[in-house]
Amino acid sequence: MTPVPPSASHLTSRHKTNWSEMWRSVLRLSGRWRFVLGIAGALFVWTAAFSPWASFAFGYPGKMTLSGFPGGARVYLLPLLLLVSLLFFTLPVGATAGVRAALGLLFIAGYNFIAISWEGDGVDAVAWGAWIALLGSLLLLWAFASFLWEEADGRSLSGQTAGHTAVKLPDPIWQMLLVFGGVPALLICFVYALDVEESSRFVSLICCLGAGSAALSSLGFFNWTSELLARQRTFAVILLLIAALVFPFTQDGNGYWLRVLISVGVFASAAIGLNIVVGLTGLLDLGYIAFFGIGAYVSALLSDADFTTVHVRVPFLLVLLIGATVAGLVGIFVGAPTLRLRGDYLAIVTLGFGEIFRITMNNWNGLTRGPNGIAGISDLEIPSLFGSTPLNFGDAHEVFGVSLPNFANYYFLCIFLFIGMAILFSRLGNSRIGRAWMAIREDEIAASSMGVNPVRFKLLSFALGASMAGAAGTVSAHVTQQVSPDSFTFMESILLLAAVVLGGMGTIPGALLGAGVFYLLPEKLRAFQDVRMLMFGAALIIMMRYRPEGLIPNRRRKAEFREEKSRFSAGFLKGTGELDLMQQNPVQEGGT
Amino acid sequence: MTELLQVRGLSVRYGMIEAVKDVSFAVSEGAIVSLVGANGAGKTTILRTISGLLPPVAGEVFFADQPLAHLPAHEIVASGLAHVPEGRRVFPRMTVRENLDLGAFVCGQGNNIDADLERVHTLFPILAERAGQKAGTLSGGEQQMLAIARALMSRPRLLMLDEPSMGLAPLITQRIFDIVAELREQGTTVLLVEQNAQAALSLADKGYVLESGSVVLVGTGADLLMNEDVRKAYLAE
Amino acid sequence: MEQFAQQFVNGVVLGAMYGLIALGYTMVYGIIQLWNFAHGEIFMVGAFGGLAVWTALPESLAENAFLALPLIFTAAVFTATFTAVLVERVAYRPLRSSPRITALITAIGVSIVLQESVRLFYPDGKRPQSFPGLVAEGNFSIGDVRIPWVSLFIVIVAFFAMLLLQAFVHATKTGKAMRAVSQDPDTARLMGIDVNRIIMVTFAVGAILAALAGVLQGMKFRQIDFHMGFLAGLKAFTAAVLGGIGNITGAVLGGLLLGITEVMATQYIPQGSAWKDVWAFIVLIVVLVFRPTGLLGEDVSVRA
Repeated sequence: MTPVPPSASHLTSRHKTNWSEMWRSVLRLSGRWRFVLGIAGALFVWTAAFSPWASFAFGYPGKMTLSGFPGGARVYLLPLLLLVSLLFFTLPVGATAGVRAALGLLFIAGYNFIAISWEGDGVDAVAWGAWIALLGSLLLLWAFASFLWEEADGRSLSGQTAGHTAVKLPDPIWQMLLVFGGVPALLICFVYALDVEESSRFVSLICCLGAGSAALSSLGFFNWTSELLARQRTFAVILLLIAALVFPFTQDGNGYWLRVLISVGVFASAAIGLNIVVGLTGLLDLGYIAFFGIGAYVSALLSDADFTTVHVRVPFLLVLLIGATVAGLVGIFVGAPTLRLRGDYLAIVTLGFGEIFRITMNNWNGLTRGPNGIAGISDLEIPSLFGSTPLNFGDAHEVFGVSLPNFANYYFLCIFLFIGMAILFSRLGNSRIGRAWMAIREDEIAASSMGVNPVRFKLLSFALGASMAGAAGTVSAHVTQQVSPDSFTFMESILLLAAVVLGGMGTIPGALLGAGVFYLLPEKLRAFQDVRMLMFGAALIIMMRYRPEGLIPNRRRKAEFREEKSRFSAGFLKGTGELDLMQQNPVQEGGT
Repeated sequence: MTELLQVRGLSVRYGMIEAVKDVSFAVSEGAIVSLVGANGAGKTTILRTISGLLPPVAGEVFFADQPLAHLPAHEIVASGLAHVPEGRRVFPRMTVRENLDLGAFVCGQGNNIDADLERVHTLFPILAERAGQKAGTLSGGEQQMLAIARALMSRPRLLMLDEPSMGLAPLITQRIFDIVAELREQGTTVLLVEQNAQAALSLADKGYVLESGSVVLVGTGADLLMNEDVRKAYLAE
Repeated sequence: MEQFAQQFVNGVVLGAMYGLIALGYTMVYGIIQLWNFAHGEIFMVGAFGGLAVWTALPESLAENAFLALPLIFTAAVFTATFTAVLVERVAYRPLRSSPRITALITAIGVSIVLQESVRLFYPDGKRPQSFPGLVAEGNFSIGDVRIPWVSLFIVIVAFFAMLLLQAFVHATKTGKAMRAVSQDPDTARLMGIDVNRIIMVTFAVGAILAALAGVLQGMKFRQIDFHMGFLAGLKAFTAAVLGGIGNITGAVLGGLLLGITEVMATQYIPQGSAWKDVWAFIVLIVVLVFRPTGLLGEDVSVRA
């Protein structure tokens, strides 16, 4: 039974540079110095938070010239600082968390330092507060890192690996209370973040939240929360749903964020479909946006738009069905010949198909009006539940005495769309079909020897994913009120794929989070418009390197990725609790 | 006799599976040492770990008193240790001659390759005849000879053979083992891993019996052949 | 007939460039089974590297083709090789034991990063940059078929590059090691071959060829932009699949076939030019349906 590692694995390098060793020996600190430096660092940062960062006022936001007041980005130092101070008492366990939190402080200080000197034309614009913030966070980093090194050395001497204790949860009633408090707290954070206007403050907030989560994650906080949410899933989902439904009532009739959230919702719905293909079945579809485009064009053509070539108006629910069906059929047409082949071929064929679709839409003037696209798509009308006049989505409504902008209609529609997709996804994922997909993803040959017909199941997955994209596309056409070929470029496909990958392959919250990150962040980071794609490419590379399972991984999938990585650093998996999940071998279940 | 290869407390894992547990053995200069055991006993894993294809979890390997642990595989070969992998693994779409050239990859450019070629051609005349043929078209026995010849091209001090008899007819197996004996006469030290315990032990100066990743018996080849348990378990008696 | 011959020549010129890029795809795929999505960007980076040096040359040098050309080519090759090796080292090597989808997504990320870096950091990189022609303008004629000197130059350079590659892969020690790694990496290590080094060399060789193609493309169209690697890369990968991925001769053959097909389809199919970029993909799908291993492919490894 000689175990043979997977084909590419034998190429792992075993060279190790000794740079890190060198640095460590230079920077190593003895026990007392660590505390001295750490406390000094914390004090510095604390002082910095209340000291001026900019030497004169020149339009850099947030009253950064004032002292005695933590205005602007400085305020985001405080939560991290609090965390760091608490972590001092948990040492040496909290060393990793401390390093991460200190890095967050360093990023905030560094970012604002650079931004101030950039906008103020030189380092002269930077006041002493920013300098000591940098200094303090570096000291903190140093102090915590030296704990980490000692721990690492100790481990290599004794050969022990850090254990992973089982998650302990309080009583069910407390669990519910925690969820009941936690979910709104999260949403308040979210609404607060949306309200942060300036880029500098927003970036600092992101650094604060990111570093804070990273620190908490190293303390096992997210294992704990995910366990908690797994137990109280229904409750949490209902709370989230209520919050989502209430959101439009908090916007004072302003449609801006509703509009943004609508596009997040539409793309998250499409991302769920892509998640079936990529996350569950492991097929790489690089032309997914084309199926979305098919739905959009179908919907545009059948809605009697102002600028169109077809003058019919079909009821929307029917259009939704037609769009999904057409996209699914095209999916079968594209997938059938190529799904027999090795995975990479599917990637290039779907990419080619995406381009063919875009070029066809661009050239087929008689139907699609070529590059001009179809514009002036009318608002949706669906039969009203309450009266004889149909509900027009273009109208603003008044509900419970609160006036809702017309976008609220589409917002609610998107929520329904997303819920529909999510239900479909989770029902399928937990069914016999879903298990067959996962079996194929893990090992196609083994799956087929268990009686799963890989081609048929792959085709099913591919076509279903396509028709879900088509359905999302039909909604999208009405939201944007126009469709044109340049909305369906390769980059859009990649953006969706990246949303799935970043959020977490094979999970619904992952798809939502991914879509949120990719369609919300650009709204907030307009100052970075130009480098957006660069950051996005870099994010793909970094994610694949350090967290290929995504931010919110499917638990089973996470175990697989980790196992793949640690196959040679043996001993790591011992007692992590992930083993139990591994034993639910999907191949056997799916083969019936 | 000095110990050319020393393995101490070697453990290897694949993920959660501990394939080799605390194995120690030694190979003396000029000897033939056999590791025998059933399928899955960890024999191949041990060889792959010695030649650097797999990292050990624990334990040390010394070759000519130099520690090998954590050297990359290609440097281990350069230090004079050749490994004929299980299942021959010749490069199928390269010619016999090209395969032999690759065997001499560590030996610097050109200089003594001709002498080495001469030597392996005397050992395996068939390879001289087939020089221009693609290795994938050779018969199993010929491929095994090519694999051994290829390993010899680097002029190794220690030759590690992994299941040279696998899938071969008895006559050809006999021929291969004759050649192994001949190599020892010429001064090459051999570490032989085999399922075919009869052939391997009758040739060996020293033998180790492996069972699910651990050494369970040690002795001279002849002693082990007489051992009751070995006869029962491996010689089908 | 005359038109056909003319178009055929154009197709060969286009195909030669596709072939040069396709070689990089096929070699990397043959050795680590990675669709190096960023290879098209290496081609683009090479062209920009060449242009940057030409722009920096004093006028007397820049006008002199015999001095400027070698300098441009050297700069292009150096830039592309450096980029490719860096990418391999930083992005791909840590993922050797990861699932293939992970590596492919990384490759897409690398592609975006390279494109955006040129767009943002090359002076005025957002707009197309004009590229020097250098080779004498004008044509020579064979019968009624007129061939620009640049085209002749392209075909000659491509031909010799491919010839050199064949020699490298078959006659040198490193070339043999490369083939060995593509056939059986583990056993190659047992021969004393440093697999990591060979992989790096493979990336470098692919980058050299792509850089040549990048400069040739610039000379032919007199213009380059940050986006040129995307479509060229896709088509070249198609060419590699068409010829049989992993197969060096196949990549060249696939490139030529694709170039000729594209030119002919554009000429002879009504409204062909609007659909210019579609033919490559249609050819690809047809090939994959009827002969998935490509024209010369049997299985995946670098071969002649």
